[in-house]
Amino acid sequence: MIIKDVLCPFCGCLCDDLAVEVENNKVVDVKHACKIGASKIMGHDRIKAPMMRDDKNGEFREVSYDEAINESAKILANSKRPLLYGWASGICEMMKKGVLLNEEVGGIIDNTASVCHGPSALGVHEKGLPTGTLGQFANRSDLVIFWGCNPVQAHPRHMSRYSVFPKGFFASKGRKSRKVVVFDVRKTDTAEMADEYVQVNPGEDYLVLSALRAVVADKADVVPDSVGGVPKEKLVELGEAMKGAKYGMVYFGMGLTQSRGKYKNIDNAVSLITELNAYGKHSILPMRGHYNVTGFGQVCAWETGFVNAVDMSRGIPYYNPGETCSNDLLMREEIDAAFVIAGDAGAHFPAQSIARMGKVPVIQVDPFHNPTTEMANIVIPTKVSGVELEGTAYRMDAVSLRMRKLVDVDFPSDEEVLDKIIAKIREIKGASS
Amino acid sequence: MQTVTLVPKEQFKISVEAETITPDNFAGKSTDEIGALVAFEGNAPRPLSELFDIKVDGSADAADDVKIEINGNVNRVKRIGEAMTAGLIMINGDVDMRCGAKMKGGTITIKGNADSWVGQEMTGGEINVQGDANYYVGAGYRGEACGMRGGKITVFGNANDFVGEHMCGGEIVIKGNAGIMPGLSNKGGKIVIEGDTDMPGSEMTKGTIIVKGTVKDMMPVYQKEGIEAVDGVEFTKYVGDVVVDGVGELFVK
Amino acid sequence: MSEMRIKNATVYDPINGINGDLMDIAVKDGKIVDSVNGSAQTIDAGGRLVYPGGVDAHTHIAGSKVNVGRIMRPDDSRLNNKPRTKVTRPRTGYTVPNVYSMGYGYAEMGYTTAFEAAVPILKARHTHEELEEIPIIDKAGLTLFGSNWMVMDAIREDDLDRLAAYVAWGLLASRGWGIKIVNPGGGEAWGFGKNVSGLDDPVPNFEVTPRQIVRQLAEANEKLNLPHSIHLHCNNLGKPGNYETTLATFDVCKDIKSKRDRQSLHVTHVQFNAWGGNHWGDFESKSEPIADYLNKNDFLTIDMGQLVFGSATTMTADGPVQYANARLLKARWSNGDVELEDSSGVTPLEYHPQSYIHGIMWAIGLELALLTKDPWKVLMTTDHPNGGPYVNYPMVMTMLMSQKRREKEMAKIAEMTFERTSIAGIDRELDWYDIAIKTRAAHAKVQGIIELGKGHLGVGADADIAIYDIKPDETDATVEFDKVEAAFRHAAYTIKGGEIVVKDGEITATPKGRTYWVKATAPADGHERMMEDLKMKFKKYYSVNMANYMVEDEYVEHPVVFETGYQ
Repeated sequence: MIIKDVLCPFCGCLCDDLAVEVENNKVVDVKHACKIGASKIMGHDRIKAPMMRDDKNGEFREVSYDEAINESAKILANSKRPLLYGWASGICEMMKKGVLLNEEVGGIIDNTASVCHGPSALGVHEKGLPTGTLGQFANRSDLVIFWGCNPVQAHPRHMSRYSVFPKGFFASKGRKSRKVVVFDVRKTDTAEMADEYVQVNPGEDYLVLSALRAVVADKADVVPDSVGGVPKEKLVELGEAMKGAKYGMVYFGMGLTQSRGKYKNIDNAVSLITELNAYGKHSILPMRGHYNVTGFGQVCAWETGFVNAVDMSRGIPYYNPGETCSNDLLMREEIDAAFVIAGDAGAHFPAQSIARMGKVPVIQVDPFHNPTTEMANIVIPTKVSGVELEGTAYRMDAVSLRMRKLVDVDFPSDEEVLDKIIAKIREIKGASS
Repeated sequence: MQTVTLVPKEQFKISVEAETITPDNFAGKSTDEIGALVAFEGNAPRPLSELFDIKVDGSADAADDVKIEINGNVNRVKRIGEAMTAGLIMINGDVDMRCGAKMKGGTITIKGNADSWVGQEMTGGEINVQGDANYYVGAGYRGEACGMRGGKITVFGNANDFVGEHMCGGEIVIKGNAGIMPGLSNKGGKIVIEGDTDMPGSEMTKGTIIVKGTVKDMMPVYQKEGIEAVDGVEFTKYVGDVVVDGVGELFVK
Repeated sequence: MSEMRIKNATVYDPINGINGDLMDIAVKDGKIVDSVNGSAQTIDAGGRLVYPGGVDAHTHIAGSKVNVGRIMRPDDSRLNNKPRTKVTRPRTGYTVPNVYSMGYGYAEMGYTTAFEAAVPILKARHTHEELEEIPIIDKAGLTLFGSNWMVMDAIREDDLDRLAAYVAWGLLASRGWGIKIVNPGGGEAWGFGKNVSGLDDPVPNFEVTPRQIVRQLAEANEKLNLPHSIHLHCNNLGKPGNYETTLATFDVCKDIKSKRDRQSLHVTHVQFNAWGGNHWGDFESKSEPIADYLNKNDFLTIDMGQLVFGSATTMTADGPVQYANARLLKARWSNGDVELEDSSGVTPLEYHPQSYIHGIMWAIGLELALLTKDPWKVLMTTDHPNGGPYVNYPMVMTMLMSQKRREKEMAKIAEMTFERTSIAGIDRELDWYDIAIKTRAAHAKVQGIIELGKGHLGVGADADIAIYDIKPDETDATVEFDKVEAAFRHAAYTIKGGEIVVKDGEITATPKGRTYWVKATAPADGHERMMEDLKMKFKKYYSVNMANYMVEDEYVEHPVVFETGYQ
């Protein structure tokens, strides 16, 4: 049986044209997806049953779901500063329960963005975000800039589906309708296939962006001969090219969010785009990583008013990256229990945070074994969202779509586990009040 | 004069939010009454009596006659002095984030280091940090147009990034070095950095920044005006940020 | 379900012509009935003011734009914070409340139904996700059609049946209630940073004019016999001198007839489109010619779009206006163009009484309401959160009821305002009946939901009832406006579907509301032609597959489907 129009549960591209062949309730083939997406859907070794251990260096013992859930609830109910982290590989329906769980335990809920595009949100608080849906860019853009991102590697089908190759209504020659420019510290695979590569000194993107803004504002006379490794003539040429574009598009990634200045780089890029809109039409879009990391930001915002890193310890949502993000708290050794779901802290957190997690109870909810499992005390396996469970996800451009269920499995969903933990916590707290 | 001495009973790990520790809240209260005020250790409400040894000498009718002395490291106690209008807080140790946030008046002296957001959204009063300060000295809250509007913050050691971000008024003096982007998006106020810094005055529209040490990277958006003396010392004067039609003044040694 | 009796209610129910009668109301199984027996739960209203539950025909409460506002504004979300209670979730936000506050805030004021004013079809799923999370109130969404490629192509090819078929399909795809048109054609022009300058300025690359878009959609609306008329945000919003465009736009629909007992055209937040002068320097109110038109014509209705001083977050599908605002004010700006469909922009701003421009805008909204004789023709709205947050509705209500209240506000407004407006000389004061019309009855009539039991308290209506702590006969609203405002702010009782949800201004229950949407049948061959065009557009231009596009049943958990069809 071939299931068509399947959505890929891997990256922020959320490609929705996959065809998946299922035989005897098992995925046997995936068409149209890139290698990484196909790999996720084909599936691999998974955690077979809930398990627990007191000593993180010891062996896990298999336990029932009830036991794992009850113990998790006990730990969280008695924590003073629990962290609920991850979320980005799950569906929106379970994220809402995460927000509720955070209310119950008076902890912090945070998602993978805090080590990824969290700074983009901070840039948005400063300047907003002039953007649109991906089809808008596919149909119109004649100048495409990739700044600090490498879609050839990280978002393999992005260029063919959205940013570079599509024959758009107003870009009917596809690739030939657009000029592609890459700004990066090194010549990446994406830079290799671009029309132009601009090398920027590491940590100096902010300066280059400011210089471009000066060029766009007709104030190039104050710009020095070289900024961030880019000669002034080049900056003027690029600035003028951007001004002359009919529809200029900037896609950006970790090259901007994680280098010196972090959120200020995004802030500055957004300002550049805003100022360019006085001349032509320009938009900007963050290249989101996990397929539903955007969804967490949306859910958290409508539920609490804030996009991530929400601290509920005082009973009302408090948001302050630099103070309430996972790593801010872990590196200060504040967290006394960690609940990691649909996200891999172990793989992405700095050593100091991992060291802290090594000292406190860690509960992991995930279908798959990963570096977080190494630190976990309780592991609860669940369905793979988007393969074994249907539900809502938001593409990188904040278009929400419904993930499909392809096969049936005998694992609970993230949402079911969260519901049970919440119920148990209420029981525990009700008993003590 | 009412003097309240607080000695932390333990070295807190999980941060304690103690916005109740202000001269305004303590004025005229007894030891028991002060002890009954509630702080939060993470999500757990804890009376101050559980967290500190409290001693009260004398009494006061109003905040301006109150002195609070904290003897010990409170590097995990946040929001001390929040919104205070008068009086004195002396912290003989390090202090955690948002110390003196929304301060309206009075004085806070921190003998040790101050964590991020000291003097956040301050409108008056004075804060002295004798050690180092972390990020966002005298800055604003995410999305707000103005951070500090008045008052004075002096850091005797070094400060980290984003000193005086979104400043609209008041004065900040960093005796040591400052991190990147001091005076970011400023609409007023004065920042003096006696040591080194990097990328000062980005998107400043109005205000003054004086750097006596070295600037690692100048923002490429400033118009050089020439040499000008400030308090008898010669600086190169720049005006900008030109991209935002700024008339901020940047003086670099 | 339970039975309830409200006795000694001073009822204002304009749809049924009840004007301050002291009477009892009987409720059974969530509906108003003739009578209930003695054992029913009894509320003694004590002669206090009783209105049908409030209905808001135009507000921005759910979906992509609202959430963009929240994400952009942690500075707003840190306001109006309330911790959870046994019954309520935590609340945040003033201009962009979180979903819980959104519902509670309306219910606290005695409102029970609200219409999300602009739903882009591609992002309708998001709108419904948020609507589902908004507690208590019943809701619906108005679907954007005014800059849509399918719409414009059908119009250019003069194919009304195909257009109607697409509207029917679009309403199904978005689970929408009606046709929303914003700056017709401009949303497409904005795709390349341009705009349309008026009704006859053709949309670049599509060869149709805004006039054609408005006209044809109005015709399609009536062919499908939709419950609501087209709902229109005019071209040139926010530009001095735009009142001429507004009047010309009214004329476009002058001879459109509806089979239903309602207007053929509803024009929204007209305050922003009733501007005279040529630039900011000579900017003035042109509410008079607009009100004059309304006084002479019965085919249209409008809503105010009243300005409230203080913080606002503007959010609209009028992309060009938002960019212009942001540039002028050097404010934060988020833009959200939706492929093949429309545009949008979100910009925070502050309205200052000392700005004569804002003063004039403030005056215009009230003038429109007070100069138009028939209270049914002008609904009270603030275009939340564009003119100001909906929690200020009670204040606006008192300004309509009291000249003294207006004067109190005028005392802090820039003097120049009064040279450019007529508000200072208007002494009309609306009464309890008029206010009931402007805050529930007319909204229900305009949206076509009276037959669904909304906006009135007749037998068979939904038991959506608001009891306010005012004795109308003993209260002079022209002087006791603070008391009146406080009473409207915190209802003594809000009853939703027969259940008490608010008591003494506090939320007591949080049932889930329902979502109303329209299922319309279109002519078969028009539908066929439409599908051919649609499939081609999905194949070539949409970034999403058609199979994944339409909103699924799962997103509308409590639907009320209104069926209608091609005439």
